[in-house]
Amino acid sequence: MKPAPPLLMLLPALVLVPLAVLLPPLVHGGGWELIGSFALAAVTPSLDPVVLASLLKGLGVTVGMALLGWAGSLVLGLLLGACSSRTVWRTLTGSALPAELIRRLLALPRAIHELIWGLLLLQLVGLQPAVAVLAIALPFGALVARVLSDLLDALPTTGLEALRAAGAPAPAALLTALGPALLPGVLSYGGYRLECALRSATLLGVFGLGGLGTDLKLTLQSLEFHELWSGLWLLLAVMLALEAGISLLRRRWLVPGRFVLARRGVGERSREMLLALAALVPLCVLVGRALGVDPAALLNWQPLPGLGGGDWAATWALPWPRLVGGTLLLTALAACLAVGLAPLLLLVVAPVGWARQGLRLLWALGRLWPPPLTALLLLFVLQPGVITAALALGFHNLGVLGRLLLESVDATDPAAEEAMACGGSGPRLALLYGRFSALARPYLAYGAYRADVILRESVVVGLVGATGLGSQLLESLSSFAWDQLLALVAVYALLTLAGEDLSDRARHRWLRAA
Amino acid sequence: MAAGPATAVLALRGVRVAGRGRPRLEDVDLSLAPGERVALLGASGAGKSTLLAVANGLLAPAAGTVLWEGQPPARSRRGRRLQQARIGTLWQDLRLIEELTVQQNLNAARLARWGWPRAVLNLLLPLDTEACAAALRAMDLDPALLEQPVTALSGGQRQRVAMARLLRQEPTLLLADEPLASLDPRLAGELLALLLAQAAAPRALLLSLHRPDLLDGFDRAVGLKDGRVLFDGPVGQVNPDLLADLYGGTPPGAAP
Repeated sequence: MKPAPPLLMLLPALVLVPLAVLLPPLVHGGGWELIGSFALAAVTPSLDPVVLASLLKGLGVTVGMALLGWAGSLVLGLLLGACSSRTVWRTLTGSALPAELIRRLLALPRAIHELIWGLLLLQLVGLQPAVAVLAIALPFGALVARVLSDLLDALPTTGLEALRAAGAPAPAALLTALGPALLPGVLSYGGYRLECALRSATLLGVFGLGGLGTDLKLTLQSLEFHELWSGLWLLLAVMLALEAGISLLRRRWLVPGRFVLARRGVGERSREMLLALAALVPLCVLVGRALGVDPAALLNWQPLPGLGGGDWAATWALPWPRLVGGTLLLTALAACLAVGLAPLLLLVVAPVGWARQGLRLLWALGRLWPPPLTALLLLFVLQPGVITAALALGFHNLGVLGRLLLESVDATDPAAEEAMACGGSGPRLALLYGRFSALARPYLAYGAYRADVILRESVVVGLVGATGLGSQLLESLSSFAWDQLLALVAVYALLTLAGEDLSDRARHRWLRAA
Repeated sequence: MAAGPATAVLALRGVRVAGRGRPRLEDVDLSLAPGERVALLGASGAGKSTLLAVANGLLAPAAGTVLWEGQPPARSRRGRRLQQARIGTLWQDLRLIEELTVQQNLNAARLARWGWPRAVLNLLLPLDTEACAAALRAMDLDPALLEQPVTALSGGQRQRVAMARLLRQEPTLLLADEPLASLDPRLAGELLALLLAQAAAPRALLLSLHRPDLLDGFDRAVGLKDGRVLFDGPVGQVNPDLLADLYGGTPPGAAP
């Protein structure tokens, strides 16, 4: 009994069964009218010019932070990526050993979520715009570096060797032989990272690092739902415009999407690509000026509470198995929800033409709406805990996965589905058999990658309480327990790295079997 | 079905399709009796594919009526699905589902009658093994192929599996749009023989064809030109003058 690919895609949705049993006891009495007025406010957002002006200002800050953090991560990623490439080191020095070392070192900044970076930097240098920028740039830079060095090392080196044999100096040979081949991959990944940066900048705002996220959280806590929705709709417009712009450029430059099934020609108009990259420099300077980012201020470290002689006994006494177990459970629940629900919902709405547009909107809201805010909203009606946090995290990632799934459904050949429908199998079964069959493996491979992202991300719903490492970490941070914090970050990083390894293996297995 | 033995399997009356991105049809009348094998001739762009799309229900005509076994398109979703299940289309690219096994592909033809639970079960367990094996044997294929993924099949085997799937749908109307194009002569001959052999009453066959030299096994030929029926009669009456008129001077049998 081996489930066929289209069924495998739906298997994670079985998580709904235990949820259906566990969820009802979590519902507490009140709060439904709050949820009701929240939902109603969606269609009656506040149009007060004062409110809108303040929200727009916040939005500007968020977008600016995202842009600067992203640009910083690209610069950092390009440098570090080149530094951790085996091919580069082998060409320059003859040995690939330093590349391995740097690669290992970079695993640490990558494993730590931008929120943890943000909160740590906040303690270190105080509240300033540069904190959010740096918090995004550091982990994203390490991620870009990894993708870039993987891309670099996967390129054939024959051209490079030919240039070297012809006497070209190493740096010039590297740039000429590998640079052009690298550009499309870097741009594609970079575009995806910009979308992530916007989401992260919003999230950091929720935790007080400025911008629209801060406004959203304040309006939610003061129950000003109309103003909250004004902010959400504005953010949605910006996010959708950004996503549309990036996919337009992807098509124009023929760079591969994040989730490709059909390979087409790759890389066109490379001069235009370089010009666009060059135009980013003055743009970033302007935005930095406008936000008041002052790199020098980052050097004014605040006096740290004494690190010496921490209370290691208390750190050791933390309920580690429960913390780690909670985090893993949260990750598994959220990942299954996100991976399984996207195809399930698509099947459910298949016969109704306009319902797909509804799903598109729901998923866009899921992507843009920071998980901690969903969690706060859920707390109006649910008790805190792992399940509540998993719902919030799952909804957010459902937005990401759902969009990818729908995009790839639209990009695959409709022939098989059309043939099924023509034979009378009905729209749902035609979709299941005719389209999902081909999509299942790449989709699940992406799901494995996403599960790893969710593990990293699980800290952001820590404020719900009792969610494992995430909530303990936020608690230790607010009580300045540096020793605990250090241990928690280390454990988190270890877990994430193990998860990364696991999801890499799963992904390769899925893609090889295809 | 309420339809009696004399009811036409497919009847088009005064069908008009306004060409939006596809060749148009004007006032087309066409009727297929049970057991009839009809070849559709005409130059590229004459409307053969459009007519077949109307016949298999993918395209609703702008005017005129289409009756399958005497019935207009059913109104209920379920009725429509069952009606579609009785129309079997052999696609030029076969449209097998590459990621599934041969047996799952054969069973995919039963989905209109099965509904959800069995459709999902089919993705988990081998269902209806006997019937699927019989369908393969009817096509001279080894039933041991049932477990194989479709990707493991040869070109000729794929063709026969597609035919087996088509028959497992138990259609009364067999439709095929240029099934022989892009096939080598041996495979083309085999496929045509299979199609003609399956089109015994109560089933009828409508097939579009580029090669008038292959008309032998058919009962009737219908010639389309610029979206209108120019000729409809026994195959014996197809002569070089008629073909010259249909193909506008290009020699019949030439590449499309």
